[in-house]
Amino acid sequence: MAAGGKQEAAPFGRHLKCKDLHQYLQGLPVSVLDKLYGHPATCFAVFRELPELAKHFVMRTLFAEQPLPETLVNAWVKKEQQNFCTGALNRLKQLRIWRVVTGWSQTRYELNPTFRSNLKIALCGGGQPWCGVADDLGPDRHSKDKEFLDKYALERWEAVLHFMTGSSPPDGTVGISADVVQVLLVSGLMKSDEQEQSPMITPSGFQFLLMDASSQIWYFMLKYLDMVEARGMNLVECLSFLFQLNFSTFGKDYPTDNMSDSQLRFLQHLREIGLVFQRKRKSRRYYPTKLVINLAAAGSGSMTTASEGVEGFIVVETNYRVYVYTDSPLQVALVGLFAEIICRFPKFCVAVLTRGSVSQALLSGITADQVLHFLRTRAHPEMLKKTPVIPANIADQIRLWELEKCRMQMTEGVLYNQFLSMSDFETLRKYAEDLGVLIWANSNKRVMIVSKSGHDDVKKFWKRQKPRE
Amino acid sequence: MVNVLKGVLIECDAVLKQFLLHLDETLAFGRKFVLEDLDETHLFISSDIVNTLKEKVWELMDNNSFNVTKLD
Amino acid sequence: MAEDTFRRLLVVVCDLSPIWWGKQAANASENSDKMQPINAFLNNVLVFCNAHLMMKHTNELAIVCATSSKSQFIYPCPEDVSDANGEESYGNMDGKYEHFATMNNVVVDKVKNIIEEESADDVNLPENSATLLAGALSMTLCYIRQAERNCPVGQSMKARILVLKGSQDVSTQYMATMNCIFAAQKNNVTIDSCLLMSDSGFLQQASDITGGVYFKITKMESLLQYLLWMFLPDPNTRESLVMPGAVQIDYRAACFCHRTLVDIGFVCSVCLSIYCQLLPRCHTCQTRFKLPSAAMTRPKKKKKEKTAD
Repeated sequence: MAAGGKQEAAPFGRHLKCKDLHQYLQGLPVSVLDKLYGHPATCFAVFRELPELAKHFVMRTLFAEQPLPETLVNAWVKKEQQNFCTGALNRLKQLRIWRVVTGWSQTRYELNPTFRSNLKIALCGGGQPWCGVADDLGPDRHSKDKEFLDKYALERWEAVLHFMTGSSPPDGTVGISADVVQVLLVSGLMKSDEQEQSPMITPSGFQFLLMDASSQIWYFMLKYLDMVEARGMNLVECLSFLFQLNFSTFGKDYPTDNMSDSQLRFLQHLREIGLVFQRKRKSRRYYPTKLVINLAAAGSGSMTTASEGVEGFIVVETNYRVYVYTDSPLQVALVGLFAEIICRFPKFCVAVLTRGSVSQALLSGITADQVLHFLRTRAHPEMLKKTPVIPANIADQIRLWELEKCRMQMTEGVLYNQFLSMSDFETLRKYAEDLGVLIWANSNKRVMIVSKSGHDDVKKFWKRQKPRE
Repeated sequence: MVNVLKGVLIECDAVLKQFLLHLDETLAFGRKFVLEDLDETHLFISSDIVNTLKEKVWELMDNNSFNVTKLD
Repeated sequence: MAEDTFRRLLVVVCDLSPIWWGKQAANASENSDKMQPINAFLNNVLVFCNAHLMMKHTNELAIVCATSSKSQFIYPCPEDVSDANGEESYGNMDGKYEHFATMNNVVVDKVKNIIEEESADDVNLPENSATLLAGALSMTLCYIRQAERNCPVGQSMKARILVLKGSQDVSTQYMATMNCIFAAQKNNVTIDSCLLMSDSGFLQQASDITGGVYFKITKMESLLQYLLWMFLPDPNTRESLVMPGAVQIDYRAACFCHRTLVDIGFVCSVCLSIYCQLLPRCHTCQTRFKLPSAAMTRPKKKKKEKTAD
């Protein structure tokens, strides 16, 4: 598990891929997965991210105790849509929500009993309260309103991003701890330089900065969870707690009673990056912020979740101008990654997209799609009323600039020519093709090219063939 | 007898290929670098020239593009 | 399935006709000492509502109750804002998701209030007073329009209505109901109907016209299963699921003069009003009909040839 975090930084230009909840869960050991379903919040979160059909399959079997034959399940779905049905079934099996029951003549499925009972609890009630029975704390004397929580969350998370960009955060904010830095390093978003003390941002780091806030946090949390066990914390407890926060009410306080040691340590980390607010370390209550609520949906990358909560502030015009209505130096710095800033005012700045500025971004490993996604998810409400949100000529031009860079495709290889006979050529060509190392061939010219790695094999083969002549 | 050459296969559009051939003929890098002209869209070139070539092509693109957003 | 980015709003219209539920309770008490039918019904509907909210975090819900004297929003109810503090006092006593718990508590309280109010007025009610279905539907359609307008920019909403109805249709509501149905059709709102014990001609038409599902439940015990199977999938998902086929639909219209359902009637050639008997003048558009003598003796199926002058 801990080794999972030691993934190499994405090589230059590779797209930074963010796993969704299911991909993450599928990567977990079976025993962990089974334990996770012991909490209603986890079952709920997993259920919500299932494909539409799979959700209905679960719902239909939630109150049916008998195992169902596969043929019956297939009969629920129209013939034309059977591939969706198989997809849904596979997903359910991979996540161990449905299991195959043995001892019947045909394949039958049964809902995982732990999953069933906990989903039922989330749906109809019963069982223990999610956060355990706690003494009533009474109303909080220092209760915080929603605006405060929003501000707090944004400030904390931006402190992390500031650290990544290397710019100094605004005065009065606290820096970030070594634990968070470690996550950034291990996830390959930053790397520590030999000469310099402070870590440097990597190409994947740039891509990370351009993601929307909820995807950033989700990505960060996945990397964090990979390291949880190495820190001696219990992964199942942390995950359950995260899902519990995912479904909590914004603006409400929750008690820290009944939380395990792992969860309390986890809470401190969440507090640091702004996912929860806790007035003091020893305070017995905490407030989840908007950053953590509905976090589990972030990985699926749907557009609707991205812009929720945060008001957009970017206007892009067809004349390549970008207007940025913000006072956050971080956001201006982010726009500066791919656009030239030409005027700067308090709370407002004008930038222009040029070939040079975009190529600069492309060179640092950012893709055109990421630039467009950034602009789209932070688009001003007035922009959102238009379709498409980003003017078509801008979107096309940014893509064209990217395509310009791949006008030539280069593959290293070894060229074979001057074959004496057609049969020689065909033998060798066929051999290379079977090995899967042939990259180009022309029978008329009797020329073929094999990849560099395949050259040795092909050469040996040719030497073996020769004596026979 | 079979002849073996090491190098880099380039796949590009026909227009760019003509430009590369032109660079080759005019000895833009001081020597010939195209080892084999394969077909409309493929060339086989020596591998030590690749980075210089990339820059040259990039330069071509720069010269070909005009700045629509030029500020007055 | 195509990437589905709509916010889905489900409005549940419940028929809380005191007379019908009273009869059910009377029947049930003869059989056994089970739960009151309305309690069982409410529990089932709430679990179904929870299930709808559970499907996606962008899913939304509203519940309207119709009785024979008024129609009322139960969730979200306008007073919700004022007693926001009161909500927390419900607390989270078990493992139910707290949003569900809050919603369910609000609904149960409201329904209790409605029933109490109804039973206070009960004496004044005529025996055959009907549930104000049309009123509830119009309120729902207005609510949907409003919700669509308030939808955050860049997102769109798809709404559907689920009508849960037990009491009989009353032909006096024909016009109003049909108008609601056509309004819904025009706004692309699907009306699903789940009938308890008895069929309804109005809702058959409503579901058929708007492309919804019509289903009559004969066993109240299995209400939840039916709801989850047939009414939980949204119209988009239904395309890939095998759904029960269409029933024989009663397309009879009610006449404008006596509000009775007619198989064959008279239609005004100008405004298309329907009458069960021949009239010299249309009540709706005041057109006078010059009657040919033959028609007087033997009325034909439809008087198409009449001229208006």
